[in-house]
Amino acid sequence: MECVFGFEGDGFVLLATDTSAVQSIVVQKTTEDKIMILDSHKLMALTGESGDRVQFSEYIQKNVLLYQFRNGIPLSTAAAANFTRGELAQALRKSPYMVNMMIGGFDKDTGPSLYFLDYIATLHKVEKGALGYGAYFILSLLDKYYHKDLSLSSALDLAYKCIAEVRSRLVVSPPNFVIKIVDKDGARELEWRKTVEDIAAIPAE
Amino acid sequence: MGLDFSGLEPPTIRASSSFPNLQPNILSSPSFELPSVKDLDGFEKAAVEMVKPVHGTTTLAFLFKHGVIVAADSRASMGQYISSQSVKKVLEINRYLLGTMAGGAADCQFWQRNLGTRCRLHELANKRRISVAGASKLLANTLYSYRGMGLSMGTMIAGWDETGPGLFYVDSEGGRIKGRLFSVGSGSTYAYGILDSGYHFHMSVDEAVDLGRHAIYHATFRDGASGGVASVYYVGPEGWKKIAGDDVSELHYKYYPVSQPVVEQEMVEILGYPPTGNLGDCSSIPIYRNVASS
Amino acid sequence: MSIFTYNGSALVAMVGKECFAIASDRRLGVQFQTIATDFQRIFKVHDKLYIGLSGLASDVQTLQQRLQFRHKLYQLREERDMRPETFAHLVSAMLYEKRFGPYFCQPVIGGLDRDDKPFICTMDSIGAIEHSKDFVVSGTASESLYGACESMFKPEMDPEELFETISQALLASVDRDCLSGWGGIVYVVTPDQVITRTLKGRMD
Repeated sequence: MECVFGFEGDGFVLLATDTSAVQSIVVQKTTEDKIMILDSHKLMALTGESGDRVQFSEYIQKNVLLYQFRNGIPLSTAAAANFTRGELAQALRKSPYMVNMMIGGFDKDTGPSLYFLDYIATLHKVEKGALGYGAYFILSLLDKYYHKDLSLSSALDLAYKCIAEVRSRLVVSPPNFVIKIVDKDGARELEWRKTVEDIAAIPAE
Repeated sequence: MGLDFSGLEPPTIRASSSFPNLQPNILSSPSFELPSVKDLDGFEKAAVEMVKPVHGTTTLAFLFKHGVIVAADSRASMGQYISSQSVKKVLEINRYLLGTMAGGAADCQFWQRNLGTRCRLHELANKRRISVAGASKLLANTLYSYRGMGLSMGTMIAGWDETGPGLFYVDSEGGRIKGRLFSVGSGSTYAYGILDSGYHFHMSVDEAVDLGRHAIYHATFRDGASGGVASVYYVGPEGWKKIAGDDVSELHYKYYPVSQPVVEQEMVEILGYPPTGNLGDCSSIPIYRNVASS
Repeated sequence: MSIFTYNGSALVAMVGKECFAIASDRRLGVQFQTIATDFQRIFKVHDKLYIGLSGLASDVQTLQQRLQFRHKLYQLREERDMRPETFAHLVSAMLYEKRFGPYFCQPVIGGLDRDDKPFICTMDSIGAIEHSKDFVVSGTASESLYGACESMFKPEMDPEELFETISQALLASVDRDCLSGWGGIVYVVTPDQVITRTLKGRMD
């Protein structure tokens, strides 16, 4: 079952998701990266129907880049989050995208920021948050152990704690997770937490 | 002339339908008269909807080196309406046994009181206290005989017997599980988060009480259907003792004292009216940043 | 569960002597799960006009953005602020525009009119305006709010008394509602100042 969480730290935002692609009762893939790198300093971690997830995140990514090409400056994280909300809200009354997400970014002037956005297009700036069934276990953990100014290593420890909790308590818990961060040096993948290697994955040469 | 299926029915139904005037034996589970309606299933279904006040709940119990901790919130809700903030969800069965309440309040209260009398009778008959395993089995057997009839209970039976501390989870589907750590109710997942990360078998009583209280507090914060008071009980060799009953709202402001909030990222207001705010002298009330219609 | 109760909200406005107050809770939830405790559902339109939007958080945001846009256009064209009554009709028209696919919001509007006469009103999700001389409520805690306001309200209260009354009414009401609460925010608007205070409330 799906699980996304993230929080702000001291000068960075950390996002983590499970990496299971599930269809009905089948786990099709256990190494599906669900955190889209929107641009150099933005991350978007999504849950939802796989078609919608990919279509929507790519649509947003391309539009964010288009804006940057046209105007020569990138969108701020707040602007990108509000743009995404607008697109979701517009779609909501036509054919909704069934996607929930957390958007994290780093801006020169405002520093790190994190947004919660669900498929109904509720946007809210948060310092910590979680989506999916994992949220039922993770939110209380974040409430207890999160504090502002987390260093990267203690943030990672907290992320491990959350992943361990989901793995041990959630029914059909996902085996693998990916952790990404964004800070002043940009958005990047930090690490994979794996208990299962993907059978379908092509072995590296 | 149809086939006689009465042998398949639970013993309690048989007792009440075929011998309506039979005095209930005090040692057996009480049996109830069935309503004389045509559509019993539909009637039961409607009745279940009517008698479920304690819907959202957070209860927990865990074993550790020195005994058992049992804790619960105190909110009763009907849908979104909070019908009470002072429900006693830890039921004191006897000096050595505690039960918790999740699901139907009446079901829990009645059957755990009934369990209390039967435990006492066991004591009188056998000249020794009933074990936690035995007590929970009595309850589980009773609930199993009523399965499918709309009882709604998710309870933990915790106590101390000759073998030391004991903890069992019993529910109205007839399940009974022995375990070290349980949490039941709508806020249970949040409580599990705290319990799993803070639990060690070798912790002290104070640490254990604190863990139980923290777990209830965090559950009440995130779960709309849980709230009120976090009661914490400790069961040791001398029986149970109520350790704490803290208003979770007071706990919140103890754990997270209010500080002046920092101004977060805001959109620049082009028209440039800074909202005029008279701060007054309300020292207990933090002053919020004036958010312009951004 | 109705879509109006998906996120949970409590909203109330009261009239005082040459002033009014508007207050709301601060919870953003998804059904029984609390997501955040600093959600904003009362917005300033201009110095003497505030709107609160209860109901679905997404539509609160959409509607607020559209209303702000329309009001800014009005300011540019007319070079003045909108009167509360006019604004109420703008909101009403905007809601009725979506008669067959409404915004799931129940607005509460509070403002000071030209001669600083207080004006409050509420409307349903498709724009039927309901004026009031004393108080208006909306949101998932509205039943409790009716009771609290009905017993606590007095006419002609000064700003401080009004603040106390509306705060007590709000806090008492959200304590009987699972889906709202987690703190409150109050705006008391007088002809020459706006008192904004957050309330410590029960966090369960």
